[in-house]
Amino acid sequence: MSKRITVLAAVLIFLAGETSGVLAMKPEETRAAREKGKIIYERSCMLCHGEDGKGDGPAGWFIGRFSSPHPRDFTAENYKFRSTASGDLPTDQDLFRTVTQGIPGYMPSFSGLAEEERWAAIVYVKSLNPMFKEGQPTPMAIPEPPYPPSDASIENGRKLYFKYSCHSCHGDNGYGDGPESIKGNLKDARGLPISAGNLSDRSSLKNGATSRDIYRSLMTGLDGTPMPSFADSLNGKEKEAWDLVYYILSLSSERGFFRW
Amino acid sequence: MLNRLSRAVVASGVLATSILSLFVMPDPAHAIPAFARKYNVNCTTCHTAPPILNHYGQRFLENGYQLPGTEDGGITGKRKLGDLTLDDVTNYIGFRLVGNVVRNWSFKNQNPAGLDPGVIENKTEFTFPENFVLFAGGTVTKNVGFMIELGHDVEAGGAAVERGFVTFNNIGRHDLVHLRVGRFDPNTYSSYATVRQQLGDVGESVASTCAAFLPCSLNRVGLAPSAFATKFYGLYDRSGNYLSPFGASLYNSGAEVGVDIHGRPFGDWFLYQVGVVNGANEALGDSNKGKDVYGMVRLDFARSKNFAANVSGFAYIGNSNAKVLSMDDVNWNRYGVSARATYKMIDLYAAFAIDKINKTPASVAGLFDTTATGLTIGADAYVTDRAVLSVRYDNLDAGGMLDQRKSTTFIGVQAKYYVRTNIALFVRDDFNIRKSEDGDSAGRNLRNAFFSGVDIVF
Repeated sequence: MSKRITVLAAVLIFLAGETSGVLAMKPEETRAAREKGKIIYERSCMLCHGEDGKGDGPAGWFIGRFSSPHPRDFTAENYKFRSTASGDLPTDQDLFRTVTQGIPGYMPSFSGLAEEERWAAIVYVKSLNPMFKEGQPTPMAIPEPPYPPSDASIENGRKLYFKYSCHSCHGDNGYGDGPESIKGNLKDARGLPISAGNLSDRSSLKNGATSRDIYRSLMTGLDGTPMPSFADSLNGKEKEAWDLVYYILSLSSERGFFRW
Repeated sequence: MLNRLSRAVVASGVLATSILSLFVMPDPAHAIPAFARKYNVNCTTCHTAPPILNHYGQRFLENGYQLPGTEDGGITGKRKLGDLTLDDVTNYIGFRLVGNVVRNWSFKNQNPAGLDPGVIENKTEFTFPENFVLFAGGTVTKNVGFMIELGHDVEAGGAAVERGFVTFNNIGRHDLVHLRVGRFDPNTYSSYATVRQQLGDVGESVASTCAAFLPCSLNRVGLAPSAFATKFYGLYDRSGNYLSPFGASLYNSGAEVGVDIHGRPFGDWFLYQVGVVNGANEALGDSNKGKDVYGMVRLDFARSKNFAANVSGFAYIGNSNAKVLSMDDVNWNRYGVSARATYKMIDLYAAFAIDKINKTPASVAGLFDTTATGLTIGADAYVTDRAVLSVRYDNLDAGGMLDQRKSTTFIGVQAKYYVRTNIALFVRDDFNIRKSEDGDSAGRNLRNAFFSGVDIVF
């Protein structure tokens, strides 16, 4: 009998531990979680994003000064970094990825915060925008690359790069010096001038530089910027999408060339 | 004012500097000095424009070179020594080269009697940027940081550890106590930091005939924030070296050896700092048994609308920290307030300090004014993504030996253009707004100074 109780207790303790572990990873969006998240937010986020999350913190203006990007206005639409369709809000995992990885050039990685703290901050950030209460958005499927890059796929990607007019913003060589960029025609949702990403520099790829990151950027677009979603154009054309991804990766010369 | 030949030389110098810089740095890119490299962000994450820190950069500094709200020591703080790469090392090391390429001086009286010949002349001269600084800093592990600045004065020669200290952060709980030990600038966290200014300090020229504990003449005054300055004529360090009335000192010293703590125990709005330093105006070591103590509180306002504001008050209590002509010790204290307000492209700041000598020796009684004040008001305007216009007003009501002291008031204006966020060219003009007819002292004799130079960090 006592052996059974011991085993049962051990199972219950194990399950309790598992349950609390899950909660620590991604807390329920309770008032307590929001209050904890607010403390984290005010220490780490408020200085750029502002007290009310409008992207107008005491240090926020200097990030881009008279140009884009400025810190995210959490109360508005147009979230750039998503795995969801253009116009949708990001998923919790999208927010977590951005907080964890940062945005090269503009926002540091907050991997220095414990996972639990990052999730708490996300709970608080979501509470600043009532649209998040309308339900969890549906992410697109971001598949694994179906085949490795080849000379043929890269060459085909180059043709697609021009077919889909990527060069008009990013330039013939991907330097971000396309005619639309040079003429200053590119503006963000706030009307601020924005430059096209330099595809020859991985650090210019704000939504990540792996093949899946680039695939995601192509499919979702970067809302609030001139970068559109190519989900409709590439719908059912998986090979074209991956060839284009491989060509974009081939424009930069960094090591870890084809990082999956 | 500049004569025709001087204008031509100045113009050619500015043009040459500009062309050289544009040739070497052909296109805009993100700056990548050490911390920006480490965290993969642009300089303007922490700076309004280098070297001025914005609100985020101030919190990064307060947290011992850790991102605000974090305590992990950053990415490389977790690496084992054997796993470090050259990229990791560059995340700890940076360089700064700053100074003038061309400068022009205009005086009322050239080559006055009793001063060094050839120094006080209306002339334009080419120079190499005066200051080269190598700094290594960052975190070694969770909540432990360090900073070492090795400076080389290109003009005067010699190199020295300007600042070097270790920080222990978030002692007790987050933001409760941050401890700093070593040689540091006490005025790091107040509203107007000593070592971060758009208009850099221009050192005074002291006559070469000065001897220990003897009256000393200035060839030329210095151009530095008056609130931070020594303010007194006729003070000496414990070795008898003349203390320039224009040098940064006490709480606003560029560096003192000691220990201090700071923190925000009640939240975002309140910052405290207390410290104790040797305070004998010595680079290292301590010939003065008495220690100086200081305290500062800062109140922060505004958390949104791209607006930031804060006010600070401080007191520095000296203990036999200087001497007068008779070699007697004095207690030299400072009390001051400073404030800063930033709204989008406008950055306003001011500091006012009263210096008071206590325990005046009988030997100089009636000959020495024991009170002096300094007022500095400045503004920077980021008129474009790359251009900063600055203006600074400095009024020094000098104290000290009545037969030597002379109050000064200067206004400096500067235009700085960032070729990249870490490479800037500047032109600057400082002019004396007190009448030259008031006397022939150094404080009146210098009428105008023009500078053009570079400020590069990498």
